[in-house]
Amino acid sequence: MNQSPFIVLQSVSKAYRRGATIVKALHEVTLEIRKGELVRLYGPSGSGKTTLLNLIAALDYPEQGEITVGDQNVTRLSRADAALYRNERVGIVFQAYNLLPQLTALENVLLPMIPKARLERQRAVRLLESVGLGSRSGHRPTQLSGGEQQRVAIARALANDPDLVLADEPTGNLDDENALMIMDLLCGSCRERGKTLILVTHDRSSVQLADTALELRAGSLTKT
Amino acid sequence: MIWIKLIFGGTGRRSFEAIAAGVVLAIAIAIVVGSLMVVEGARAALSQAERDDRPDIVRVTSRFNRALFETPRSGTLPPMTLPVYEPLIDPAQLAPMGNRATVVARQSFLRNVVFDEGFLNIYVFGIEPDLEWRISKFSLSRGRFLRNDDRDAAVLDQLSAHALGVDIGGSFPIRKADDQDLSLTVVGILETVALRDPPPRTVEAPSPIADSSFVSGGVFVSLRTSEAIFGRPTLTDALIVARSLRDVPSVVDQLQEIFRLEPGVFIAERYNQFFRKVHDFTLTLGLFTGISAATTLLAVAFASNLLHDVYADRRRQFGVLTVLGFSATWSLAPDVALGLATASLGAIVAYLMAAMLGPKQFAMPSLMADLGVVEPRFDGLVFAAMVIITATVVVLGIVPTALQLRRASIARTLSDDGL
Repeated sequence: MNQSPFIVLQSVSKAYRRGATIVKALHEVTLEIRKGELVRLYGPSGSGKTTLLNLIAALDYPEQGEITVGDQNVTRLSRADAALYRNERVGIVFQAYNLLPQLTALENVLLPMIPKARLERQRAVRLLESVGLGSRSGHRPTQLSGGEQQRVAIARALANDPDLVLADEPTGNLDDENALMIMDLLCGSCRERGKTLILVTHDRSSVQLADTALELRAGSLTKT
Repeated sequence: MIWIKLIFGGTGRRSFEAIAAGVVLAIAIAIVVGSLMVVEGARAALSQAERDDRPDIVRVTSRFNRALFETPRSGTLPPMTLPVYEPLIDPAQLAPMGNRATVVARQSFLRNVVFDEGFLNIYVFGIEPDLEWRISKFSLSRGRFLRNDDRDAAVLDQLSAHALGVDIGGSFPIRKADDQDLSLTVVGILETVALRDPPPRTVEAPSPIADSSFVSGGVFVSLRTSEAIFGRPTLTDALIVARSLRDVPSVVDQLQEIFRLEPGVFIAERYNQFFRKVHDFTLTLGLFTGISAATTLLAVAFASNLLHDVYADRRRQFGVLTVLGFSATWSLAPDVALGLATASLGAIVAYLMAAMLGPKQFAMPSLMADLGVVEPRFDGLVFAAMVIITATVVVLGIVPTALQLRRASIARTLSDDGL
């Protein structure tokens, strides 16, 4: 495992305005994650886990601090650069799967390849086979179970061979059996491919799978 | 295939709104296109009426009076009197009009042409060829038309040429005021003649248009030649062409002032008559235009609101595409394409409805019927209106969503949509 830090957060703070109230989602968070490391991020609801993932994915901007991923400062990327960064370097898995319902499983996996104008159909098929859905590539999300949809979402996250995978409560909508399988699949896929994984979860089954666990409480980080 | 699904799929329960927007647009644009086609047809009818009536022309004529005409030098026919214009208009009096209008001077008179086998009554017109060509219609069969500097040259209609037994290069005599004959050389034969405001036909003379009560043919010479024949420069009539329609009343006033001491000179304009005739017509056009505008506003507001609902519901797709690395433009492109496709389909259906169901001819009632039958027409303006309506619906529909997406961070967009 490469020991040099791959992701660096330096005194990152983020606050939201909710009506007249300002909510501090993150406060002076400093963090280093090595390349290929599997990080489990947990904490109570509203502690800032999703906010932290959004900042690393350049879906939002911090009020202060610096975020570096690899050799790229992603703190204040333009919308176009942020889109390029996400497309090339980040794969995201959501709790609600967020597959487009009008597309088949295969087309959902092909979707991230469109901005690169290089549709690697064979690669997409192989990814679906790797998550055990080779025979269901022509099915639409509504024809798949929750666990199967999340497996398609994992394949989609890996479609562009990103350095970093961000998973936000990927098992939140699944039963225990499916949750265990998804967690195994996600962590196994990332470890097998040498991807860095930041996994936001309450699921205890991931404790053994992760290299590092980070706890967020009221916007501040505690490493365990 | 993926793009087609991104564009047309994922509307879910909002498909109804998209279809409704298309239907509303189709009906509205059909009404607008139908109305505008009538308006365009009516405008064409108005333009045609304006070209035919020429309300911008004010006519100045001398008194129509009887004059003594000689009989042929051989034979036993007695002298006779024939009604002709008297040459009472001094060209110098019309000179001040040059600033505000074009003066087309004329000398029109009747002559007996005597030749071997008999004689012929024939109308002779002294004209300014360059100016007359602009307001009257001449088409040549052979030879050339007159030039301003032509001397003793004539063009005449085929019937007159045949009656006189002359052709290009031939000549015939015309008796001058000093009782001498002037030999005119034929330089052109006219296929058709449509003289603007011709004099009444009072004598048996070759007439290309049979039974016409106005002179429809004759011999045309330059004003210089006709002055030589007539023996004087005064005009029998003149047409004053105003620079614009708005100038006509003041031109008429000025002419009346010039000729107020000349009881034998009459001034006639068609301006007021024309505008009485088109008044109802323009009001009706205004009504159709108003219907179009009101329908457009209502339809655009309604359809764009329906599309807005569709777009708002597709923010989820926008968010997912953005997260996957699509640029904002490409993320929004399926929505724009959906709006354009819906609106364009509506516009095409509308055009087909208007073209197939609309009347081929539109008869205006009462006074307006004088302007003729209106033929609805599809032209650039109608097409432009369709394009503008379609584009406006798409833009108004998507702008609120686009602005909302632009202002909010992507994370906020995702969380607002429950992602």
